[in-house]
Parts: sequence; C-alpha cells; structure tokens
Amino acid sequence: MTTRSASDLAIDRYLAELDSALRAVPAFHRNRILEEIREHIGEGRALLDVEDESSIGALLARIGDPKTIAAEAGAVDEVVGSRGRDAWVPWLLLLGAIPGVVFWLLGVGWILGVGFLWTSVRWRLSDKLIGTLVLPGGLLAFVLLLVRPAGATVCASHGGPGVSTVTHCTSSGLMLAPEVGLPLLIVLLVAPVFTIMWLRRNPHSTSVSDT
Amino acid sequence: MRCMVPGNDPAWLAQLRRGSVEHCVLALLSQGERYGFDLARTLADAGGLIASEGTIYPLLARLRRNGLVETTWRESSEGPPRRYYRLTEDGALALSEFIHEWKRFQIAVNSILEQDSAA
Repeated sequence: MTTRSASDLAIDRYLAELDSALRAVPAFHRNRILEEIREHIGEGRALLDVEDESSIGALLARIGDPKTIAAEAGAVDEVVGSRGRDAWVPWLLLLGAIPGVVFWLLGVGWILGVGFLWTSVRWRLSDKLIGTLVLPGGLLAFVLLLVRPAGATVCASHGGPGVSTVTHCTSSGLMLAPEVGLPLLIVLLVAPVFTIMWLRRNPHSTSVSDT
Repeated sequence: MRCMVPGNDPAWLAQLRRGSVEHCVLALLSQGERYGFDLARTLADAGGLIASEGTIYPLLARLRRNGLVETTWRESSEGPPRRYYRLTEDGALALSEFIHEWKRFQIAVNSILEQDSAA
C-alpha cells in the first residue's frame, strides 16, 4: 500500500505537531517520547471497531494536546538541570582559550566548556567529538597566528651609542609562506565558528534509544 | 480551606498529580510488567490522575532517567513486540517510602480538612 489513508494523514499531522511542541526537549528524550506515542497510536488503532475520521480524532484527543505533553516533558529537563549550562558551551569552546594568549592558565575556560559539553545530554557523541576536535582551543590558534604572524622576525639591538651594536633576531611562529599562511588563517577562523554554529542549531532528530 | 490555593487553579493540580502519579505508575508496576499503552489506559480510566494519556510518556522518561523503572522489548501474544516496563530495586524502594509518607500525609490533610468543615 503506497497511498496514505486519511487516518494516516491525521496521525502524521498530530505527530508533526507533537514533534515541534517538544522542540526544547533534549533529542534523547524527545525521540523516545515520539516513538512511544507512535506505538501507543498503533495499539489504540488496532482496538478500534471502526476506523474513521471521528474514531481516529477521539484516539488522538485521548492522547492529548501536544502542548500538555510538552509541558510534562519540560519536567524531564528539571531533573537533568543543565539547560542553562548548555547555552554557555559553544561560547566557552569558541572563546574560552583565548585569554591563554596572555597566560596559558587563563585558557581554562575552554576546558570547562569541554567538560560541560561531554556531560550534557543535549548533544550526541558525534557532536561532542566535533566540539572537542574542531578545533581544540577554539579561536586560540587563529588569535595566536594573528598576534604572532607566521614567520615574524623580531630583532633586538643591544649596545649603546659608540659601542658596536649586536643585533639578535628571533623568529616566532611557524615559518610559512603567505600563500600557505593566509589559507591557514582562514581555516583557523572558519572551523571553530562552523563548530559553534553546529552546536547551537536546534536539537536534532536522531533515533537514540536509552535503554 | 485556607491551606490551598483558591479556585480550581490547574497549577496546584498539576503539581499534586506530578508527585502522586509517578508513584501510581510504580504501584501498578509492582504488580507486574506493563506496556505503555496499558499503563496510560489504566491511569486515564482511573479518572483525574493524568491530564491525558500521552502525558504518561514524559513521566516514564523521568522514571527511567532516575533508574526507578527499566524497559525490555518482548514479543506479545497478540500483535507486534512491545516495550514492557518493569520496576527496578530502587523503584520498589521509592514506592515503599511513598506509601509510608502518603498515608501520613493523607491523615494529616484529612484531619485539617475535617477541622475546617466542622468550624
């Protein structure tokens, strides 16, 4: 059967409404709740004597207003209690390491961000790996390259007037030709920004089962 | 009744339900395994315990998260395999604590309400 009946369409519409009402619920719980309500509809449907618009409507009405279900689901998050923390994660990952330019210990914000990321239920494993590895330190590498341009040479002269002058030159940063350095700079900027946009997008739809 | 929020404000009712319905689920499961649909229908038919059948699923998610219930997929005699809910040891403990506290609570509330109606 490839055609969807009127009942199927009404059920699809209900589930889509529920899906969007549950948007704020972590993917983990949201998918499980949707899955179980889909099963519930299947069970209820099998029990109907007559399947028509009104009996399907009554079945869905018994399950309830998606907003009521979402309100109950809000309480799942209270237990988790990390939604406020989740909001900080992308920013800590992006910017948290930058103070480390001044003094490396000040870069601890990024490590905190990684800790929050891995203990959160909002993101799945692949998101956590991306958040950690692209790029470690967030914009730190970009900032480092910017304040100490690749191949920069710093010269310091010692000695006073009349004395023979000795000049010491030290190179810092990587010795890179501009045609390599510039694309690298762009990658170091774009990659962490991409990661942060990735982590900030709406909870995704994945089929995760937690038991 | 001075001790309650006036009127039929759904906020207090929702709060009252939340704590007690969770334990009603645990009580139902203490009699044996059940699947979601069965739990939802039983609670809905009891009247006034849950706002609608669908609200049972976020509630079950919370119980699962707290380790009070667990699920297994099993073939059923009629129809497709089902997800059965079962009480864990922690769940059984939480239930017995609730039963104890609930009895005390009920007696205390009733004694106040009866005083109130007698006055």
